[in-house]
Amino acid sequence: MTVVVFFENPVIGDLARDRIHMLASKHPSRVIVLDATQGENLHRVEGCDWIELGVKESGPEMLRSAVGALRLADAPVVLLWIAPGIETDSRFAALSEEARTIVYNSSLLDAGHDALRELVDFVARHPAMPMADIAYLRLAPWQECIAIFFDGKAAEELRNLQQVEIACGSEPEAFYLLGWLASRLQWRPTAPGVMVNRLGKRITFEILREGEPRRIARIALSSADSIYCAEVAKSEETILLSVSGAGQHGPRYRAINNPGIAALVERAILWGQNDRVFRDALGAAGEILAQLRE
Amino acid sequence: MPEETFAAAAHKGDGAAANPLRAGLTAERIISPCSTVFFGASGDLFKRMLLPAVYAMHLKGTLPADFGLVGFARTAYTDDTFRDYCRQQLEIFMPAESKPQGALWEDFVRRISYIAADFNDTRHFVNLKERLAQNDRDFGTAGNHLFYLSTPPSVFPEIIKHLKRAGLERSDDGWTRIIVEKPFGTDLQSARMLQSAIEAVFPENEIYRIDHYLGKEPVQDIIALRFANTIFEPIWNRNYVQNIQITSAESLGVEERGGYYDQAGALRDMIQNHVINLLALVAMEAPISSEADDIRNEKYKVLSAIDPPAYGAVWSMSARGQYGPGTIDGRPVKGYRQEQDVSPDSNTETFAALRLGIENWRWAGVPFYLRSGKRLPRKLSEIAVTFKAIPHRFYGESTDQIEPNVLVIKIEPDEGISMRFEAKVPGPQEHIRSVYMDFSYGSGFGIQSPPAYERLIGDAMLGDQTLFTRWDAVERAWEIVTPILEVWQNTKDFSFPNYAAGSQGPESAKSLFPDWRHL
Repeated sequence: MTVVVFFENPVIGDLARDRIHMLASKHPSRVIVLDATQGENLHRVEGCDWIELGVKESGPEMLRSAVGALRLADAPVVLLWIAPGIETDSRFAALSEEARTIVYNSSLLDAGHDALRELVDFVARHPAMPMADIAYLRLAPWQECIAIFFDGKAAEELRNLQQVEIACGSEPEAFYLLGWLASRLQWRPTAPGVMVNRLGKRITFEILREGEPRRIARIALSSADSIYCAEVAKSEETILLSVSGAGQHGPRYRAINNPGIAALVERAILWGQNDRVFRDALGAAGEILAQLRE
Repeated sequence: MPEETFAAAAHKGDGAAANPLRAGLTAERIISPCSTVFFGASGDLFKRMLLPAVYAMHLKGTLPADFGLVGFARTAYTDDTFRDYCRQQLEIFMPAESKPQGALWEDFVRRISYIAADFNDTRHFVNLKERLAQNDRDFGTAGNHLFYLSTPPSVFPEIIKHLKRAGLERSDDGWTRIIVEKPFGTDLQSARMLQSAIEAVFPENEIYRIDHYLGKEPVQDIIALRFANTIFEPIWNRNYVQNIQITSAESLGVEERGGYYDQAGALRDMIQNHVINLLALVAMEAPISSEADDIRNEKYKVLSAIDPPAYGAVWSMSARGQYGPGTIDGRPVKGYRQEQDVSPDSNTETFAALRLGIENWRWAGVPFYLRSGKRLPRKLSEIAVTFKAIPHRFYGESTDQIEPNVLVIKIEPDEGISMRFEAKVPGPQEHIRSVYMDFSYGSGFGIQSPPAYERLIGDAMLGDQTLFTRWDAVERAWEIVTPILEVWQNTKDFSFPNYAAGSQGPESAKSLFPDWRHL
């Protein structure tokens, strides 16, 4: 494959180079780094499969032409866009036409939920675009843990949930978790902090900024008589699952298995794009965000 | 999901169907809570393979959050000393990053218990029943019980009989399943006796005959390769295929298994199960769906089309060997008869090769060559499909050898697929040379395949029998090898040992099929 990386922030650029090196060492790839912090005098080639170009002054057609000329023939192009402006930046529009998979990270720039909102709007306008979001892919172990609470007969409790509290270091992950719950359980936002289920029962939710950026610290789901809580255990490598109240259950532990960015990008390439559950969660997160806007 | 359906699904006890949050998750096929009982938990298989597989599943989150593990064996452990033993074995057999420590280990170890038992004493099975009920109360294992027979096969019937006597053959609240380790019998008659002992207690849909080869990713990929591509199936028949060679070679000797192996031999140990299973997958017709029984129906059908050799024809379609002293990787190694627990005049084969034919429309006339042996030059498991030679040669220098195309499905140690084809050597002359297209699972997907036992234990917990062998196929495989087994058993081979450790095998195998792929 050909991996095209675009960034505008030098710190993020160094991080991206490091992670893409890891990815390229596992998957034979040609990497084209489009460094928008550097002028066009930057041309660096390592071997024949690592190419860096300064693209600070380059327009969209120049970028598309460069990628078209340098990409591996007959191999898919993966675009890692690490910058804001997917709705408005014509360079993104030009590069995305070349890509079979677009990997975005709505929480990397830590700009509240703006980047997520931008992604929601973009996907609504371009539903066929093969997008994956690292912020969503990172949630996999938490989704597994929440699902564990409601396996088997406990599934009935899903319709009795009344409250959701998510403590998280950045907002996109929290909105994704809410969006995922809402889309799977057919909850509909009716006001800021409020949703209703299919039976019209009210569910309130709250997002607390807590812990490291891009990391979930805790999610608690409450029904009338039970609280289902998944939280980072003291070791920070495990999630502690507990149920208190009527449905009380002894503590259980699951590994967080926090994969690095390289592994998440890998997952995005292999499985992430156009995943129906992801699209539904994103759409529902968009509806929740729209309530905030109103 | 409509309201009624939602409620009904929730009461089925099948979490996967009931929980809408499961859609799209890695563990979409969730395992319901359960206790697993390992009979023979003080043995080699448990410490090397089964315990590490279960712990790895726990670390990966593929084991149910509510589970219990019960060891059941003769060794006089207590719960605490068995837990210590498990920790010691995991320290040895788990990779460095997965050692038993921290909250995940604490959560795992408290769910382990042990019953020191005599397999022939019903009272110990009654104790087991009580322990399982305790697990249901303490760990929420919901009355679901998986019994794993990892003892020597000779005690399987005893265990099954006492499970029944203790009322453990079914659970009032949940499911009961039994995994039976190979070998499933030592010959056709003993396999039938074992089957009748098991089926007197457990129905077929609760019996999981394990062959860990079937849990390996490339073996599962045989079906995908054949039926998820259009280019292979049209040429997968007698019109284009010259022969198919299935090899399972090891550089190791019998290690500490001399006592067992001297009673078994290569034909029983490898050909009757692993290798014939591979043959079935590579030769079967397309199943109508990926459901377990649809695949197993096709496997049985193709095995039914193999005529067991006539007794008089055994020597013309089979070869056996036994390794003598030799050299492996530059290191001298002893011969089979010098191995621990092996008879010094043993007649047991450590190498077996045979040629089979499948008498059906697709494969009539195509030879299938099967071979397996110990102390061969390297560890190698593969299926090589050799296609017919080109019908007319007009290209290439006259001295060039034009080789047939070969598709190789690599199972061990490399996992992948390789295709050999002919290409022109660059330059003004018309030289032809063989080149290879190689696909490797490691670099192709950047993902390490989970060990076979993880996959298979998980499937048994899920109730998915696809990768387990059904009785009709086991019986048919015994029927196919029985004439060879009996002729070999009744004929002392005075040429033994007839191949040196580290060599390509006995000369008799080379004369059986001179074009064996070099090991």
